[in-house]
Parts: sequence; structure tokens; C-alpha cells
Amino acid sequence: MASELILVVDDEPQIRRVVRNSLADEASRVIEAANGASAIDLAAAERPTLIILDLGLPDMAGIDVCREIRQWSTATIIVLSARHSDGEKVALLDAGADDYMTKPFNPAELRARVRAQLRRVRLSEVVGPTEILDLDDLSIDLAKPSLKKAGVAIHLTKTEWAVLRALVRHAGRTMTHQQLFHDVWGNTYGDMHSLLRVHIRSLRRKIEGDPVRPRLIVTEPGVGYRFEHEL
Amino acid sequence: MRIALRRAHGGVRALEIAAWFAALGIVTAAMLEVRSRLNEAHVTLAYLLVVQGASARGGRPLGMLLAAVAFLCFDWFFLPPYGTFALSDPMNWLVLLAFLATSLVSAQLLYRARAEAEVARKHVAELDLLAGVAAESRALQESHRAKDAVLASVSHDLRTPLTTIKALAHEMSEAGDERAVIVEQEADRLNRFVADMLDLSRISSGMIPDLQPNEADDLLGAAAQRVSGRLGDRELQIRLDPAEPILLGRFDFAQTLRVLVNLLENAAKYSPSHGTIELAAFRDGPNLCLTVSDRGPGIPASERELVFEPFYRRSTGPPDVGGAGLGLSIARGLAELQGGSLSYEVRDGGGSVFTIRLKAVSIGELSDGSD
Repeated sequence: MASELILVVDDEPQIRRVVRNSLADEASRVIEAANGASAIDLAAAERPTLIILDLGLPDMAGIDVCREIRQWSTATIIVLSARHSDGEKVALLDAGADDYMTKPFNPAELRARVRAQLRRVRLSEVVGPTEILDLDDLSIDLAKPSLKKAGVAIHLTKTEWAVLRALVRHAGRTMTHQQLFHDVWGNTYGDMHSLLRVHIRSLRRKIEGDPVRPRLIVTEPGVGYRFEHEL
Repeated sequence: MRIALRRAHGGVRALEIAAWFAALGIVTAAMLEVRSRLNEAHVTLAYLLVVQGASARGGRPLGMLLAAVAFLCFDWFFLPPYGTFALSDPMNWLVLLAFLATSLVSAQLLYRARAEAEVARKHVAELDLLAGVAAESRALQESHRAKDAVLASVSHDLRTPLTTIKALAHEMSEAGDERAVIVEQEADRLNRFVADMLDLSRISSGMIPDLQPNEADDLLGAAAQRVSGRLGDRELQIRLDPAEPILLGRFDFAQTLRVLVNLLENAAKYSPSHGTIELAAFRDGPNLCLTVSDRGPGIPASERELVFEPFYRRSTGPPDVGGAGLGLSIARGLAELQGGSLSYEVRDGGGSVFTIRLKAVSIGELSDGSD
């Protein structure tokens, strides 16, 4: 069933080995690169579906590798970093990474994230962008657009729709403040944090069961927001 | 240095004034000697020279004072009838007033030129100072960057082998080796310790917090999400002040979240099984207060400040609580870094209350845009 090619980039052979072992069931083939330059070459030559990219590479900064590959590839990029900093996470997501994990990682969690990302890729290939979502008592139709909670229609403002649409289209993936702001307002001027906060807040009031404990629109502290939903 | 010079200058001010009056006297006496051969123009020019010299060197008040005295001398000594202030020829009033006006205008002009020169000099001094400050802050930034680089490389070097150990232990435990579970747990513990040490060194080297207006309920929600599944069978209750529809504070969201998560995990550690942990936010005057309360054994009076010291371990509590005793000291450090505080109080009815105080923000203080 698995037909995907995964590229693992890390300069430590032991880590490449454990990543490869953890992902053996998820991919048809796993290839490896030990530095940034060969990672870029392999990504171009083999066109992997998914790339696990370590940031501490000997020859170039991981974020540059990420940016370079993203210019011509739609491969899913999951970054591994030993630094645990929100600023770095934001920079990487803005540079085109799809997910971010800190070292030391739990192999089971890595597997789960890879599986989720691959499922996303497969789904978007088969059915295209999802326009109608049914989640518990909530029904979202992005094409119409209409929103119903327990069968009752709920009114959203234009901006709220734009925010919800952006989040749903990237479901399962954290959007940085800047990405979300750019998606909704089309620019990056103004006080994006407070603008986003206002609209996320009103959206949560309308769609979350308990706005204080949001289950759908999750805050990723210091990074952005994520629509938490298994596709 | 310039200030010292100016003070010395003020000390000789009386001498300077006396000197200019002496100059006026000498010029007057010299002209008196040859009065018969002088006309009004000569006297005017001579006096103007003295007045302008005084204005240039001694400033506007001295110039004006000298102009007034010269005006009187002019009238008394050089305009007939001599030795009185009366004037025989009314046209001489014109001469006198013209002299006075010229003197005053030139004193004013010289004063303005001096003032502008002074402003320019001050600007130069300020620029010097700014250049110095900039160089200093550049040096500080450099040293921060160097420290960050060291911390990054230390965390990388420590975490890379931990990653391998943890991952291999996980593989082995999946294959059924129960000892490997312990290896993995210990690797996690070591990793937490590395994180704590890095935090502690970041705090002590003066990490700069990202202070933004944030909502308390957003923070509490994020904290609840982060600890979900880590509190065992304990229930987490969130309480928000119903009287305040939107509670805002100016704080670093990510760092404050870490403080809350730390306090919640701490509360879970010391709480009885099936106990309730309460997470609350309310406004108290200028402060936004966040509290984490448990029904655990509480902290004896003798230990209430000690628990915030690095490496201190509570004498009460379960013995298997694995940690280096850094959690609360890091939590307090992170709170204080944002200009806030973290304190402990005994809870009514038994247990502990940890209170984080941060700067509150009123909605009116924000310029939120909305559609």
C-alpha cells in the first residue's frame, strides 16, 4: 500500500538509522543524505514525497535547504531540530516547512506525524481540496459558504470566513501568524497579532463548544494557529 | 568636561564684566582727549565695536547693559551741551536712538548666532554619545549572539546522542524488552534536565521577553491543551472572572505558558489522586493574576521561599518525583524576566496556590482593528 519515497537528511548516521527504522512501514523506500548539498541533489533527482530534514547540517543551514527545496518541490518537509525555540519554528514554517519536531523525538510520534502528512498528500491528490466538512455537530461548507452548528445556521463575517477558510485548507498544519495574515488580508502590514486575535476569538465563540478549551482552532504559542482536524 | 569648563567660566564672569566696562571707560577717555576732532559717526563706531565685542564674548545681557551705558556716555560726553543729558540739536536724538537700536540688534543677532552654535555643539556631543551607546549595544548584541551560539551547540551536542538513545530504546521496548522502557524514561529525564539548564542559563544571561498584549483565556486554553493527558486522573478546572469579559495582559505568551505548564505539572505531582487542580485568571488592580491551586499537602512555612531556589527539593511529597529541582526557580525567573512575579500562598482549606502577577492591559489601551 505504501508507495511513497522518503528522504532522510541528517549528518548523524545513528539518527538516520533510527528514523529509517521508524518509517520502514510508512514508505516503499527510504533514501538518505548526510549534508545539505546532497539533500538538495537527491530531492531534485528522486522527487521524494516527504523529507525529514535535520537542521544541524555540517555544510549549510537547514533553513536554507528547506527554502531551496521549497522553490521547486511540493514535497512535504518535516524538520527535526535540537533547538526548541519558537522563533526558529516560525522561521522554518515561513520558509516552507510543513511540520516541526524537536529532538529527542518519540519515534511513535514521528511515525504518526509522517502518516498524517502522507494521508493529506494522498487525499488532496484523489479528491482535491475539501470544501464540505462535517465535524461532530458542526458542518462547514466552504464553497457556499455556510456554517451550521447542531443544524442551526451561524453567521460569520467576511473576515471570519477568510480566516476559517485559510485554516481549514491547511488543516492539521500550523499556520504562522504571518502566513495566516497574508492569506486573509493579502499583505503583511498592520498589527497582525491583535487583528488575528480579535477574529480568532470571535470565530471560536461561534464554532467551539468551549471557547476557553478550543478543540478546532488551536493556538500554537508563539507560532500561530492550527485547525485541528483529521482529514 | 564641558560642564566643568562652564562652571569655571561662571566663576570669572564678574571679572569679564568688569573688563568690558573698563574697555568702555578707556575708549571713552581716549575719545574725550580728541573730542574736538570727532563727529558722531566716530563715536558711534567706537562704541559699537565695544558693545559688539561684549555681546560676542559675554552674551546678550552684557551687550545690552553695555549698550545702555554707552548710550548714556555718548549723550553725556560727546553730544553738546557736554556734561548733561540734554541735547541742543534734536537731530542728535536720531543719532543716539540709531546707536542704541544698532547695538541692541547686533547684541541679539550675535546672541542668536551663539545659541545656534551651542545647539550644534550639543548635537555633536549627543551624536558622540549615541555612537558610543550604539557601539556598546553592538558589543552586547555580539556577546548575546555568541552566548546563543554556545547554547545552541551545547543543546545540539547533548540532544543528538539522547535522540539515538531514546529512539533505540523505543525500538527495543516495542520489541518487548521492558528494561528499554526505563532507558527511554531516563533519556527523557536527562533531556528535561538539559532543557532546564539551558533555560536557567538563558534567564541568567538576560533573555529578552517578547511582551505583547495577550488574552488570559487564550493562555489558559493553551496551558490546558498542553497538559492534557499529563495530569493522570486529576481534573483540571478553568475559572475566569465572569465580570471581566476580556482579560488582557502584556506578557510573553510562550514563556508564560511554560510557567503555567510547569506549575500545573507540579500541582499534579503533589495532588492526591482524583484531586482537582484549579487554573484561574483575574484582574487585581494593575495586575493580571494567574493562579494554579491544588489540594496537595502544601509547603511548610520554613520552605516557602526555598522552593524557588535552584536545585532545592521539597522534603514532603512523593519520593519518585524525578527532577533536578529547577522547575520553580525557572518559573519564577521567567515571570520576573517579564516584569512580573511568582509567589506562593497557603490555600484556604488546605493545599497550595501559586500566583503569577503580570501587567494587566485595559481594552481601551489597545488599538485593535476589526471589521
